[in-house]
Amino acid sequence: MKTWARRHALALATLGLLLAAMISLMVGDMPLTLTQLWGGFMRGDELATTILWEIRFPRLLVAILIGAALAASGVVMQAYFRNNLASPGLLGVSSGGSAGAVVAIGAGWSTISFYILPLTAVLGALAATLAVVGLARRGASTERLLLAGIALNALLGAVTSYVLSNFTLTYERNAQIIFWLLGGLEDRNWDHVWMASPVIILAALLWPLGRSMDLLSLGATEAQSLGVDVRRLRRRMLALATVMTALAVAVAGTVGFVGLVVPHIFRLMVGPEHRRLVPLALIGGATFVLFCDVVGRSVGGLRLGVVTAFLGGPFFLWMLWRRK
Amino acid sequence: MSAALQLSQVSVPGRLEPLDLELPAGQLVGLIGPNGSGKSTLLSRAAGLLPGRGEVSWAGRPLLSLAVMERGRMAAWVPQEAHFEFGFTVRAVAGHGRYAHGDDGRGVEAALERLDLSELADRPVNQLSGGERHRVMLARALVNDAPLQFWDEPLAALDVRHGLEVLHLARVLTRTGHTVFFSLHDLRVAHCLDHVVMLHEGRLYAQGSPAAVLTETNLRNVFGVRLRTGDSMILELP
Repeated sequence: MKTWARRHALALATLGLLLAAMISLMVGDMPLTLTQLWGGFMRGDELATTILWEIRFPRLLVAILIGAALAASGVVMQAYFRNNLASPGLLGVSSGGSAGAVVAIGAGWSTISFYILPLTAVLGALAATLAVVGLARRGASTERLLLAGIALNALLGAVTSYVLSNFTLTYERNAQIIFWLLGGLEDRNWDHVWMASPVIILAALLWPLGRSMDLLSLGATEAQSLGVDVRRLRRRMLALATVMTALAVAVAGTVGFVGLVVPHIFRLMVGPEHRRLVPLALIGGATFVLFCDVVGRSVGGLRLGVVTAFLGGPFFLWMLWRRK
Repeated sequence: MSAALQLSQVSVPGRLEPLDLELPAGQLVGLIGPNGSGKSTLLSRAAGLLPGRGEVSWAGRPLLSLAVMERGRMAAWVPQEAHFEFGFTVRAVAGHGRYAHGDDGRGVEAALERLDLSELADRPVNQLSGGERHRVMLARALVNDAPLQFWDEPLAALDVRHGLEVLHLARVLTRTGHTVFFSLHDLRVAHCLDHVVMLHEGRLYAQGSPAAVLTETNLRNVFGVRLRTGDSMILELP
C-alpha cells in the first residue's frame, strides 16, 4: 500500500488538487451545485458565471499560486540551510516581504503603480533573506536559524507596527495593512492572479536544480567536491525562494507554515530527492492552501493565515519534539 | 614514475605555511601530524575546496583552475565527519558520486558491496551509525572513481575489520593508478604505506618513505612521544 502510494504520489497529489479546486469553487456565501458549476463554467447560468469568473476563479488561482510558491520556497530553504525546519515564515522572509508591502501601502506608493507593491515585497524579503544567510554563514544549527528568525520577525514586526501607528493613514490603507498582516484571499481579482503568475516560470526554473540540490542538502563542501558549482547554485536558489515568497506575500499577505508542513509531509511520503519533491510540493502546497481556505470559509470566514497557523503551529511543535 | 600530483607553494593564511609536494601516481600516501597541525586544511586545499594560495596540478593539468564539474571528476574527497539531515538512502548517496559523470549510476552496487553496505543500501543515511555513515562517504568517493582520492581520517570512525578493509581497498585503488592521499593518526598503519607526509604546526616537517619519516627524532619533535620497537599486536584480514 505504501509503495503503491509512493509510486503514484504525483497522480494522487494531482487528483487531490483537482478535488480541492472543485470544492473550493462550490463552497462560499452562495454555494453552487455541480450543475450550476458547469453552467457557470460554460457561461450559461448568469449568476453562476459572475460568481465563478469574477470571484471564485481568481481566488482559486491565487490560492494555487501562493500555495505552490510557499511550499517550493520551503523546499529550497530547507535544502539551502540543510535543515527541515527552515521555511519562509520561520526565517522571517515572509515578514520581510510583508514589511515591504506595508511600507508601500502606508507611504501611499502602492497607488502609483500596480508593480510597486510586489517590488517592495521582493526588496523586503530579499533584505530578510540576506540577513539570515549572513547569520547562517557562521553556522546553520537549528537553534541559530530559529533564533535569527525570531529576531527578524520581531524587528520586521516593529517596522510594520511603526507604519501602522505613525503614518497618518486613511481607513482604507489601514484595512489593507491589516489584510496583509493576517493573510487571506478575500477579494482577490484577476490583477492578483496576474501579479502572482511569475510563480509558474520560477517553479519551472527550480525543477532542473533538483539534482544539485540533492547534493547540496548533504553538505556544501561535499557537493562542491562532487562537481556542483555551489556558489552559483546557492545564488539561484536564494533568488527563486525569495521572489516566490515575496510574490505570495504581495498577493495574499503572510500565510505561515505552508513551506514547513507541505515539504515535510511529502518527504515522509516519497523521500528527500528533489526532482520528485519539487513537483509534489508545488501541487501539495496549492492543495493545502485551497483546503485551508475552504475550511476557513466553511467555519464562518476565518482568514487563511489564521487557519494555516492553527494547523501548522501544532505540526511545527510536533516536528520540533521529534528532533533529537 | 612521473610526479602525478604536484603541490607548489600551497598555503592557507593562518593555518598552513606554503609547502611543496610531489607524489607519484598509484601511491598510498599517509598524512600525519598532531591535532591542529593542518592535515584537514592541506587535504581540502589540495582538493580545491578551501580558498588559499598556490598551485595544484595533476598529470600536468592545473587542478584549481578547472571548472568545478571537471575537478569533480578528477578529485574525490571524503570529509572527516558527515551530518546528514535528510533521509536519502545509502544507495542514493553513493550514486551522488556519479554527478560529475552525468549521473550514469555506474559502479554503485559494486562500491556498496566493497564497503560492506549492500545490506544497508535501502536504509536512510540519517539513521546510520557514525562508522556506517563514513563508509557511505567512502563508497561515494569510490563511485566517483576520480584518479585523486583525498580522504580525511577515513579510519577514525571505523571498527578494526572495516578499517583494514578500507586500507585494502585503498591499496587496490592504487594498483589501478589512483593516488590515495589520506590523513590518519595510527602510526602503525602509516608504517605500511608507500609515502608519508608529516605536518607540524601548519608546516611540512618531513616527507618520504615511512622508514625515513617515522624516525625516533621526528616522532619526539612532532608528537612528543618515544618510539620503542618490540612485540606488538598485529591484526590482519583473514
